[in-house]
Amino acid sequence: MPTATVPLRIVLAKVGLDGHDRGIKVVARALRDAGMQVIYAGLWLTPEAVVRTVADEDANWLGLSILSGAHLTLVPRVIQLLNEAGLGHVGVMVGGIIPEGDISKLTHMGVARVFGPGTALPDIVAFLHYRSTAGHA
Amino acid sequence: MLDALLERFRQGDRRALAQLLSLAARGDQLETILDRLGLPAKPSRVVAFTGSAGVGKSTLIGRLIDVLRKQQTTVAVLACDPQSPLSGGALLGDRVRMPSNPDDGVFIRSLAAAPGQGVLAGHLDALVRITEAFSFDNVLIETVGAGQGDTDVRDLADVVVLLFQPESGDDIQGEKAGLLEIADVVVIHKSDLPGAEKTESQLQMALHLSAHTANVPILRVSGRTGEGIDALWSAVQACPLRRNHLSVSSRALLRLVRENLESRLSQTEANHDPAWLAILEQWRQGTLSNTQAVAAAWKLLRSVN
Repeated sequence: MPTATVPLRIVLAKVGLDGHDRGIKVVARALRDAGMQVIYAGLWLTPEAVVRTVADEDANWLGLSILSGAHLTLVPRVIQLLNEAGLGHVGVMVGGIIPEGDISKLTHMGVARVFGPGTALPDIVAFLHYRSTAGHA
Repeated sequence: MLDALLERFRQGDRRALAQLLSLAARGDQLETILDRLGLPAKPSRVVAFTGSAGVGKSTLIGRLIDVLRKQQTTVAVLACDPQSPLSGGALLGDRVRMPSNPDDGVFIRSLAAAPGQGVLAGHLDALVRITEAFSFDNVLIETVGAGQGDTDVRDLADVVVLLFQPESGDDIQGEKAGLLEIADVVVIHKSDLPGAEKTESQLQMALHLSAHTANVPILRVSGRTGEGIDALWSAVQACPLRRNHLSVSSRALLRLVRENLESRLSQTEANHDPAWLAILEQWRQGTLSNTQAVAAAWKLLRSVN
């Protein structure tokens, strides 16, 4: 199990038919600068490909960026596949364009946190550090 | 916990492979893991890809994965990317250029190479052994991006593929000589770009300058068009599996000795051993020369353990 001294490994990925990757690349850079090992998996991925990546990379966190509006379809699928693969301990965060009313739906599905437009990068870093030292992922 | 992990590993559980690689990559219980693995049932073909940043190592590996899967052989990729010297973080982006469809015959692992360690992630020799023990037919290593003198990779791999791209400039001539010497196959990648022929003839000349490298094949390959991909793998297969097992063992034993030495030294220091403090003080004052201080330290360490 990861401890504070082991660098956090996080997979960042875009699922589905959504090519807007500026945001996720900015986040990738910020997490790298915060000392994390960021595995950028790219875009247009299937939920299956994302979960395979998390497994093979032995990551503790998964960050999904979705701006296509398909979050209520794609996110539960990813979480279901994670659980089936024995990766229920992996923390999931979601970024992108998520309507206010959908945020609680996503957190009920098991998403640790949703970060929308305008999020300050240090907030994401602080959240991951806090959750990791608290032993949540 | 390690016992259970190794048991799952032996049963072919990919998650166990991923977890073992994490432990080994940070040197956690490394020697125990290696002891328990034993020798692989069948050695893998270990092929390293090196060359400057941006030359297309990931893309080429991605294309080769397709070739290997068509031949129904399995492949593990150990892709090294640099770790930031400032934050210790790393942005590992090699997978982006490789196939993304989940396939049980392909395993891709991104690794961070610490600054000052050269072009390979730490403990890469152990990571190769672990993937080999998982019975992959092929293990492909991607270096961070080689510069002059980054020739360590030769000890770990059966075959070293060195990549250039058109218009690499005059640096090909002399500067890269050290790299050319370790190449078993030379690739002019992005061969669809102008200047490929000129680069090829420059490299040809450089290779012919030495009898040692005169027979190294040069291939024009394009990840974009697919030109030369099959030929490249044929050239790799034609190379003998010449991994220097003695040198791999030597590296592993050196690491054991170094770790043993370090732990004894830090133990001595932690105990505030008066003899140790005396050596330090005399060395600091110049009463002991470097050679004398080292000899005194050895004598002390022998008496400690």
